[in-house]
Amino acid sequence: MAEGAVQIVVTDDLARSRVTVFFRLLLALPHLIMLGLLTAVALLLAPIAWVIALVTARVPDGLHEYFVTVVRYATHTYAYLYLAAQDWPPIAGARPYAIDVVLPPAPVRQNRWSVAFRGLLAVPAILLAGSLGTGVFTTTAYYLSFGIAPTAALLGWFACLARGRMPRGLRDLVAYALHYGAQSSAYLLLLTPRYPDSDPAATAAAVAEPPPAHAVGLDAGAEDPERMRLLVFFRGPLAFPHLAWLTLWSVVAVPVAIAGWLVALATGRLPAFAHRFLAARLRYATHVTAFLYLAAELFPGFTGARGAFPIDLALPPPQRQRRWTILLRGLLALPALLVAGAIGGLQALAAVLAWFAALVTGRMPSGLRGVQLLGLRYQGQVGAYLALLTADYPSSGPERRP
Amino acid sequence: MRRAIALAGLAALAAGLVCGFAALWHTTVPGDLRLPGIDARAVLGAGAVERAQRYQDFAIATFVLSTLAGLVALALYARRGPGLVRKSAAGPLGTGFLLAMLGSGIVWVTQLPFELADLWWARRHHVIETGYLDTLLGGWAGLGGRFLVICLTVLIAMGFGRLLRATWWVPTAVAFTAVTLLLAFVTPWLLTGQHAPRRAALRADAARIAAREGVPDVPLRIEPIRDVTPSPNAYAVGLGPSRRVVLWDTITGFPARQVRVTIAHEYAHQARHHILKDVAWFLLIALPGGLVVALVLRRRGGFVRPEVVPLVLLVVALLQLAAMPLQSVVSRHYEAEADWRALNTTRDPAALIGLMRNFTRVALADPDPPGWYHWLADDHPSLAERVAMARAWAEREHVASP
Repeated sequence: MAEGAVQIVVTDDLARSRVTVFFRLLLALPHLIMLGLLTAVALLLAPIAWVIALVTARVPDGLHEYFVTVVRYATHTYAYLYLAAQDWPPIAGARPYAIDVVLPPAPVRQNRWSVAFRGLLAVPAILLAGSLGTGVFTTTAYYLSFGIAPTAALLGWFACLARGRMPRGLRDLVAYALHYGAQSSAYLLLLTPRYPDSDPAATAAAVAEPPPAHAVGLDAGAEDPERMRLLVFFRGPLAFPHLAWLTLWSVVAVPVAIAGWLVALATGRLPAFAHRFLAARLRYATHVTAFLYLAAELFPGFTGARGAFPIDLALPPPQRQRRWTILLRGLLALPALLVAGAIGGLQALAAVLAWFAALVTGRMPSGLRGVQLLGLRYQGQVGAYLALLTADYPSSGPERRP
Repeated sequence: MRRAIALAGLAALAAGLVCGFAALWHTTVPGDLRLPGIDARAVLGAGAVERAQRYQDFAIATFVLSTLAGLVALALYARRGPGLVRKSAAGPLGTGFLLAMLGSGIVWVTQLPFELADLWWARRHHVIETGYLDTLLGGWAGLGGRFLVICLTVLIAMGFGRLLRATWWVPTAVAFTAVTLLLAFVTPWLLTGQHAPRRAALRADAARIAAREGVPDVPLRIEPIRDVTPSPNAYAVGLGPSRRVVLWDTITGFPARQVRVTIAHEYAHQARHHILKDVAWFLLIALPGGLVVALVLRRRGGFVRPEVVPLVLLVVALLQLAAMPLQSVVSRHYEAEADWRALNTTRDPAALIGLMRNFTRVALADPDPPGWYHWLADDHPSLAERVAMARAWAEREHVASP
């Protein structure tokens, strides 16, 4: 393990007991109270650790150990609360858990400047963790949005009660949120000098089995982190004509989608013309979002042509689909739309942070790009499912990078 | 043969322009009217005139500097801008959009310090109350709308350029004029927050003056602006059914006679179709302007490739600067006619002179600006000229005037 790295370990098997899921909030309550007390003490000790670290460039062993306990315990507790794990967690992180984090076992020597400004430097990470609904200061999530992890947990609650299993995508999404929350807490509490990495690929790599293949993929190509500051500064206004054009396109797409839905209800397949038109619109929306949110540097074209942009949506050809799923598509898509909304909030926040970062450094932080890729893929899958371009239900979990 | 046809076309264009100039130049101001010399200090108050001149000197200096800065920026952009085509995946037209938007954005950045300096100066003199942050963020956000217009402009010009190669500038000028006409027509409906006059006396005055000017169906509207600036202003907008006269609420507190002469001035614009004539002037200027751009681009293969866009921006900026004296003199000519008709309608030269006193005192308008600036950029007769016109009218009509 690289020095100071915060890694997640996922051994959960997705099986859930319906009874414990039904009462999950009540069952988690003792842990939440305990965690609250431990966190309060940690917040009182944090300034002392900060002063000592400023002088000695490292946190004392005892404080380090205590903070590790709190961060691990928070991960366990929220993993349980958010249905990412089945078993009741060990008190104060005494034993390994189905969703666990590995933190630096001993204090790491840190740059004093970085220690001095840790609170300020951690602000972007705290905001992101808030948007994910995790971390020491989870309440920030409720100021920004409902938060990704709580949204996934709410939907997972219904799914677990119905099927006795946590959907893989939702579990992995919660794991990603917990991983980032643990990293940001560890950074803020001086457990590590490493800045939190928001790239979901790091979480995906920690899950034993790769996620199941989905008909809708995202071709992101090789990463080019260079960003021209001029294009970054004007990014919002530059995207404005695209957004206007996309709005006009969407106005036409709605009746086409409705007509396609009616034909698909009768034939079990979306007509080729509607498929082409809606696929092009969806690709175009992906290109525009990738540009607006700084995931890509190039100014996109206005046609949504396949392969015309470095970040592209790979969509399947028209497929036969079950008529009842076509009939209920809008209803079936509702949970995915809720998750898409939460991920959209995270994307917007990541884009604002990336805007400042790219203006200063001339580079797009790879972690924030990873957030955008996750969002673009998921939004694309949701759009494709809703527009009958695929029968595959959107998968919200992070994907491994090829 | 082609050369002969081209020369004949140019001759026809020149003849058309001359005829157009002659037809549009005619006003109802008597041709033999000679304005008496005016001592602005004596008529408008020495202290107020000095204060206004000090205020305007700064504004003129920033105008000159910002114009120069904009031209320098565009000249540099004309050299370096073509390299930005590699930042686009949008094809020739879309890349043209990008380059035009970036050029406009760069000019905005160069103007920003002068705009802020102007704002500081205006705030210092209590001419405007807008905050710096509002101006900064509002300007940045407003770029979106500006960029949309720029894309439409490039779409028209480059679209015709790629379609017609040599004669693209003719339909482009006509299309731009059509867009200008459309904008002139719809603008009144885009202005929000205006309301009908609440005072019955004001409504009655407006109705009486509108009837006398032969435009009884043109309504008067009040625009609340007091929170932004105490400066008085009024304007006429719209074409046909969208026509209206607008008074800022800052002017409605002036003496009733001065408000009446203001209303009469604006109704005169409507009665004499000055807005429509302005659109016609736009065509007369756009046609030769388009020809100049086409001539500049001839050796670069016309307006076909996006690489020429930065050069086009520079040429257009220079042409706008060159056309400024013509536009200003035309505007002053029509404003003088509006004053003349307002005097005929109200038969109250003292009110017009009182209004000019208030413009000097509250809006800090320089009654007698430097000649070169007046010739280049003033779109209204100077306050001294307007006072002189009031006196000339009084002398002609044997009415007493101050």
